[in-house]
Amino acid sequence: MPPLTALWIKDSRAMSNLRRILRQESVFKLIFILAFAMGLMGGFFVLFLDAFRFLSGLGGVSFLITRRLFSFFYLGLGGMLALSNIVTTYSTLFRSRETSFLLTAPVDIRSLVTYKYLESTLLSSWAFLFLIIPFTAAYTWHEHLGLLFAVWTAAFALPFVLLCGGIGTLLALVAVRWAPRGRLFRWLAVACLLAIAIRPLLQFRPVSLQDQASFVLNRLLPGLQAASHPMAPNQWTAEGILSLTGGEYARGAMFWLTLVGNMLLLSLAIQWLGTRTFFSAWQRVTGEGSATRRPPELLGWLEPALRFLPHDIRGMILKDIRAFLRDPLQWSQALIFFGLLAIYFGSFRTFRYDELPDIWRNLIVFLNIFSVASVICSLASRFVFPQLSLEGHSFWILGLAPTGMRRILMTKFLLAATAILLVSTTLMALATWMLQVGPGLKAISIGVAITISISVSALSTGLGAIFLDLKQPNPVAIISGFGGTMNLALSLGLMLASIIPLASSGIGTFKAESRTTPLSRGTSRPQSGFCSSP
Amino acid sequence: MIHVQALDKSYGTVHAVRNLSFDVPAGELFCFLGPNGAGKTTTIKMLTGLLRPDRGVIRIGGYDIATDPVAAKTLMGYIPDMPFLYEKLTPVEFLKFIADLYNIKEASTRRRIDDSLQSFGLGEARTSLIGDLSHGMRQRLLYIATFLHNPRVVFIDEPLIGLDPHSIRMIKDLLRQKVRDGMTILLTTHILALAEEIADRIGIISNGSLIALGHMNELRAQAGLEGRLEDIFLKLTTDEAGLSSPGGARRMTAPNI
Ligand SMILES: Nc1ncnc2c1ncn2[C@@H]1O[C@H](COP(=O)(O)OP(=O)(O)OP(=O)(O)O)[C@@H](O)[C@H]1O
Ligand SMILES: [Mg+2]
Repeated sequence: MPPLTALWIKDSRAMSNLRRILRQESVFKLIFILAFAMGLMGGFFVLFLDAFRFLSGLGGVSFLITRRLFSFFYLGLGGMLALSNIVTTYSTLFRSRETSFLLTAPVDIRSLVTYKYLESTLLSSWAFLFLIIPFTAAYTWHEHLGLLFAVWTAAFALPFVLLCGGIGTLLALVAVRWAPRGRLFRWLAVACLLAIAIRPLLQFRPVSLQDQASFVLNRLLPGLQAASHPMAPNQWTAEGILSLTGGEYARGAMFWLTLVGNMLLLSLAIQWLGTRTFFSAWQRVTGEGSATRRPPELLGWLEPALRFLPHDIRGMILKDIRAFLRDPLQWSQALIFFGLLAIYFGSFRTFRYDELPDIWRNLIVFLNIFSVASVICSLASRFVFPQLSLEGHSFWILGLAPTGMRRILMTKFLLAATAILLVSTTLMALATWMLQVGPGLKAISIGVAITISISVSALSTGLGAIFLDLKQPNPVAIISGFGGTMNLALSLGLMLASIIPLASSGIGTFKAESRTTPLSRGTSRPQSGFCSSP
Repeated sequence: MIHVQALDKSYGTVHAVRNLSFDVPAGELFCFLGPNGAGKTTTIKMLTGLLRPDRGVIRIGGYDIATDPVAAKTLMGYIPDMPFLYEKLTPVEFLKFIADLYNIKEASTRRRIDDSLQSFGLGEARTSLIGDLSHGMRQRLLYIATFLHNPRVVFIDEPLIGLDPHSIRMIKDLLRQKVRDGMTILLTTHILALAEEIADRIGIISNGSLIALGHMNELRAQAGLEGRLEDIFLKLTTDEAGLSSPGGARRMTAPNI
């Protein structure tokens, strides 16, 4: 039997066992999970619907924007998918013990790479269902489209996901095989990130503001324009779905075939490259040992600095920091994360916040709080939530040690909260500085960042303990499980619940204003919003 | 059956295996001994194709593991020191998966699986998930899985870890039986009594080099000692200053990357 078939049968058996395990769970838990999933999608649905309504409220430009937004959505989705699949491929292909098991079985490398490509794409893509479904539903609802629209979306989503996942897999293969290793390279990577972050600070490109509409176009359209490049897969997807929905079947079919053709071509490239490079890459991961001799203690200087802490807490903190820095799966993702942040900040200085009408300032300050808070939530879900589970098979060491579970949990929380506070307050301070926000508003923003950091760290540590999974060594799998997804959604919920009341007045006036005078000149009269301070 | 010539392997700065050569003919049980960190697991990993040697040639049943890996792997079975099992499958499902992978098409497969589960005392555990089995039960399952496709060469790293006396006896009998039927077995162990009892020939590796190879009598002659393997082993490995690298065990636990 071809290895891929055997592996597929194995997986379907494991899936049906999973169903069996689920059946043994309490009905209440299942209902809760279902209700939760529905609620999550419902929330996104409302959010997307609101966004579409807002855009159509803008009048003439809305048609332009909405069509491009569609392509923009798939660009974002595809980008995230490709990025997350770099890391997922690394962990499922190179770090999983299954790989070394399959390598001693008569499985050829081509099948192994193909199988792991599909597995990691599935692993990193299923959470995006929570975005695609409500987005599609909201668009269908708003544009009064039929069920066929959903069918076309599904037909395009599958090859699109495989294509973007494939890009990630390909990058991971190349990186593991060829990326230089060692300290020098790591510092170089960090320096590149810094350069990306700083470059836009130096290029100051003010946008002259004739009116709100041109502001919208200037701010949004460059991004949207980039998203609708005719050679981009997200553009094929968006245009294809819209064409088919509009009855242009030939055009739609052309896009679909283009997408599928490219997806297949990419799969071939993965197989080709994988067959040639996988084994050497695997040797680099398992067979070369450490390139350099390590110091017996990493960050030895930190220990005396932490003397003021009780000995057990100090020990655990040092252990966690060292384990984090020595695990490429962890720090590489942190790097990607900060890279994205750098790009986010890069987009700041392209306009002059202080020249904006109040109404846009309100929105922007609020959006800034919202983005920093979202960053906090995703940081916590990615790094704080799996902390306890990652203790894995060595959990007994902590369990037997003369220190209580309470203290262990407290330590994890303290470490997480400190790290996240450091990141979030720096981010917020930087962002408010770049936006030239007034001191009062700045204090509020930083205060919000502090509160959300602490509460979300606490939430993630606690949920990480409740959904403890000591058998799973792969952090990606831990966070994409039910507990991880729930943690992300609950933190986002907590975050929204705490910032929306704060901002609702500001946003409310903003919406009312922009609906009534979609193309009129932005007024500078003071608003009643929370951030109307000059 | 196993042909190893001038094998060499370094991990970064650690020279784990140096210029290793030996042959194991078909139907022999070969025991590979050596202090911790001597390079036994590294050697087995190279023999099974998991690690690429820096230098040297490995042939399994005539197939070069570097140029013809799938053919060589079809012939062999491997029980690693830290084995991997699919936690979410039942023993029967796992064994059927192995049968699929190794392309065992016989109609009797299902019955053979049931029989071996029964005779290994896993009859009761057939329906539980592997994740719920005890350590010794998993170990026994691993033996069934490894012998399911009738490999001609079997590599076993530390065969008896965590097994109860009944299972130990069973495994010893099983291994001898398989060797009588013509299977070639290479195993590493620290239980010298086991080696003395079941091995046809013994190789001792220390600091990556083969320092002794032969039947018990030949080893006795080389060490200039009568008596038990334990004394011979201690003498030979101390002579070779194998224990003068106390860091061996520590280096081994260092992270890979
Ligand atoms: N992945 C690795 N990276 C770096 N060095 C390694 C790696 N694996 C093994 N080594 C080193 O290679 C040497 C041989 O290790 P090996 O595992 O082959 O020993 P062993 O004979 O199996 O020991 P034991 O009896 O303790 O199992 C040791 O010095 C070890 O530190
Ligand atoms: Mg070993």
